Amino acid sequence: MKTIKIPFGPQHPALEEPINFIFEVEEERVVNVKPRLGYIHRGIEKLAENRTYHQNVYLIERICGICSFAHTTCYTQAVEELLGIDIPERAKFIRTITAEMERVQNHYLWLGLTAKETGFETLFMYAWRDRETILEVLEMISGKRVNYGMNTIGGVRRDILETMTEQIEDKLSHLEDRAQYYKKICTKEQTILKRTVGVGILRPRDALSLCAVGPTLRASGIPRDVRADDPYAAYDEVPFKVVTYKRCDVASRILVRIDEILESINIIRYALENMPKGPIQVKVPQRVPKGEAVSQVEAPRGENIHYLKSDGSDKPVRLKVRAPTLANLPPLCKMLIDVNIADIPVVIAGIDPCIACAERVMLVDTKTKKRRIWSGDKLWRYSCEWYRKK
Amino acid sequence: MKASNLIESQLKDEAREITVPRERRMFIRIAKENLRKSMKKLIGLEGLTHLSTITGVDVGSQVELIYHIVYEDILVSLKVQVSKEKPILPTIVDLIPGALLYEREIHDLFGVRFKGNPDLSRLILPDTWPDGVFPLRKEWTPERISEKIEDNHENY
Repeated sequence: MKTIKIPFGPQHPALEEPINFIFEVEEERVVNVKPRLGYIHRGIEKLAENRTYHQNVYLIERICGICSFAHTTCYTQAVEELLGIDIPERAKFIRTITAEMERVQNHYLWLGLTAKETGFETLFMYAWRDRETILEVLEMISGKRVNYGMNTIGGVRRDILETMTEQIEDKLSHLEDRAQYYKKICTKEQTILKRTVGVGILRPRDALSLCAVGPTLRASGIPRDVRADDPYAAYDEVPFKVVTYKRCDVASRILVRIDEILESINIIRYALENMPKGPIQVKVPQRVPKGEAVSQVEAPRGENIHYLKSDGSDKPVRLKVRAPTLANLPPLCKMLIDVNIADIPVVIAGIDPCIACAERVMLVDTKTKKRRIWSGDKLWRYSCEWYRKK
Repeated sequence: MKASNLIESQLKDEAREITVPRERRMFIRIAKENLRKSMKKLIGLEGLTHLSTITGVDVGSQVELIYHIVYEDILVSLKVQVSKEKPILPTIVDLIPGALLYEREIHDLFGVRFKGNPDLSRLILPDTWPDGVFPLRKEWTPERISEKIEDNHENY
């Protein structure tokens, strides 16, 4: 059978990490996938070596527009470890609360995008409308909807006031009701089930050997979560459960994230209630003692790891950042083998990549060398149409 | 046996230096000849083993590679050094398939070649990037890189 190569992307850099995939397909079936990165590689690791530790907080915040708080938490923890300081208890709770709010907004955003990929635009609109609720809370606490600027070396910059808790609770209970409703939809609604059940399989053995992280790993039944395995901030003082599902498909990835929204809401409630009083930051020196530290956090998309090395000056010698999407690319390539062209968008969406709009898709017929260029929109239409006919 | 003791006893022949800066962290220095042997021992342990990433660090005439491996609740950082003159290391992709993109990233940014890696094509740097410029090596300052890229664009 003749094989056709389909380059997918690179995409428009409206969001993070445009990426290019070359798909080799036999008729409708994908037989091989090769990813190519770097279309908006910004050289942040090199930049960080030329900035002071404090300036880097602002740089690191801008690695990602969605999980910016996870990155600054990871970075500030590494610096604090080298400085040998323990941040105030209240700051640890505020970090936990903000991190969970970030998770809630990320998972709502993701739910909407995944719904859109399946052609279910009503759910997309609903999920994004509800996401506004948590963004309003984040704005109330930090003054910003994204890139909250909450973290600083030695603690956090803004307190969560008692006058806010009532409003937060109102919004949390709304988000909780909605998440319950979406869970019902995603387990019963045929349009969702037909597009997600049994699609994009990642067996537990492959998930482990390909080093998958986060909800992608937990949807293959493996209970690994940095919050539980290597507790940071106040996670060792807050009860929560690590959500897993065993079906290993896109449907499981949806349910893991909806359940995580519900878990996050409980964490926020518990932390707000049990937050100790006291200062929210300590003063820290400009220079950081010689040494090295490895810091991990559970970002909404999975394990985030930073390595920091200091030579005793006010600038790092090396800062290494590995965001969860890079770890989930080899597992993604595995999931894409054997799927239909029409399922490509929803399987890619399934790992919650930092990938924006598919700008164009190029179809190459290896026999005739004929090239057809498709827009991402056209691929999306094609996949909806393909399922309609089926 | 505690996970940390287990790792220590497994790698007692290979480890040249073990440091434990805090709870749940371990740095182990090994010779590059023992990389694959040590890696096999770690992934052979019963329980979950996971490669988080590989970090490259410029340490002067050498490039230090740090393999961050999570075993149970411990994050083990396995360190090897390779000279900039002859930056060749054996691949671990056949042992841990998840290492594929991390090795390619290091290959792009530090110029370390991994013997046995099936695909060391560019992953991060653009196709027009000048050969021999490894941006995360210290001798390549941002100014030198910009100069080189401008030259390259003129000739391209």
